[in-house]
Amino acid sequence: MTADELSAQFMSIQGELKSFLLRMTASVQDAEDILQDTYLKAHANVDAFRGESSLKTWIFSIASNLARDLLRARKRWPETVTDICRDEALGNRQFFQEAIQIRQTSPQGNFEIKEHIAFCFTCVSKSLPLEGQLVLLLKEIYGFKVKEISQILQMSEAMVKYHLHVSRSTMIEIFDRRCSLINKQGICYQCTELNGIFNPKQNTQEELVKIEMAKEAENRSQEELFNLRMKILQELDPFESGAAQLQLHHLEHNRQVMEKYLEENSYRSSH
Amino acid sequence: MNRQASSQTGEGRAKTIKKTFSRETSVSTTIHADPAVVWALLTHASDFPRWNSTVTSMKGEIAEGGSVELKSTLDDKRTFKLKVKEFVPEKRLVWGDALGSRLYTLTRGDGGSTHFSMTEKIGGPLFPLFAGSIPSFDETFERYAADLKKEAETIQRSKK
Repeated sequence: MTADELSAQFMSIQGELKSFLLRMTASVQDAEDILQDTYLKAHANVDAFRGESSLKTWIFSIASNLARDLLRARKRWPETVTDICRDEALGNRQFFQEAIQIRQTSPQGNFEIKEHIAFCFTCVSKSLPLEGQLVLLLKEIYGFKVKEISQILQMSEAMVKYHLHVSRSTMIEIFDRRCSLINKQGICYQCTELNGIFNPKQNTQEELVKIEMAKEAENRSQEELFNLRMKILQELDPFESGAAQLQLHHLEHNRQVMEKYLEENSYRSSH
Repeated sequence: MNRQASSQTGEGRAKTIKKTFSRETSVSTTIHADPAVVWALLTHASDFPRWNSTVTSMKGEIAEGGSVELKSTLDDKRTFKLKVKEFVPEKRLVWGDALGSRLYTLTRGDGGSTHFSMTEKIGGPLFPLFAGSIPSFDETFERYAADLKKEAETIQRSKK
């Protein structure tokens, strides 16, 4: 494969790759840095690509390893990330002023509940062990097969299946317990709460009916509802959607809150 | 001297051999899953309570030289502090404390199956003094093996 061919193919998958990296890191800056490093590394090693896997698998392998190297040293987020960040946001006037300005002026400043569902998943999936988060995203959102994931992450197919099973089970349990869209007793209703703030003229119930996962909450199994949640993420590009700027602003807020929270808790636990 | 043996033997059934200074309980079963899947379940400490109904919590690292703190349904008030004594991936795992040790072995079988066995031996010179206060492990061992088999086979069957 020539360098030009690599560049052309890289361009064709870079949107998907960047979205994967954002969902892994929850940071636009980290996603862009790793994307660039992935390209440089692929370019430098293009002669080593033997076609034993698809080029897409090979490039995702480079990117996944770079993400793994970066994230291994960082603490995982708690599953209550959205509660913690909501409390912080309520006391942060600047955050809401910026968000309202984005909402009013940006072409990517819409607020849609399904976009927030995807955002919420990105935050909560960072509570999984790193390997589990990688496997879950690659399989459920980016459509890689178990065999391809085993090539990407250099682990046995059995281990991929193990991580996939545990991650799915864990996320299903968390959302079933917490998400008020699928469980009336769920304690998290942030997506509908924010919809009331950003879209005050909308009828939230009418909006929820448009979301299959919410509409089918009482008719489908936990597994099926999780698959519907994954479908929302599959269909959304967090950089290109009509709500991208608003959600990325919110994600950066949560990332900063988590960084501070984990540092303070690490300090408390060591003193 | 072999004083008493459990009448239960065979696939998934626990067997206990009681001697004056020791007691040994074992269980074995065939699991229709790759040894790597079984090994993954046996070595991810924090994941144990999710699939294993006999474990209420487990912290630590099940790895070469690692140690774990385990709470079991046998006695939820007590925390067992165990050191990993042997760790041969996908084949053999031993953990234990001063009173005894638990040995897990995995053997690859036909058609991608795994023969799993688990044996715990407790004992020592003072064993007769506290033997009466240690509950039987038989029921717990059988549930442990059944839970492991069920979970590993579920993972093995999961979509590709």
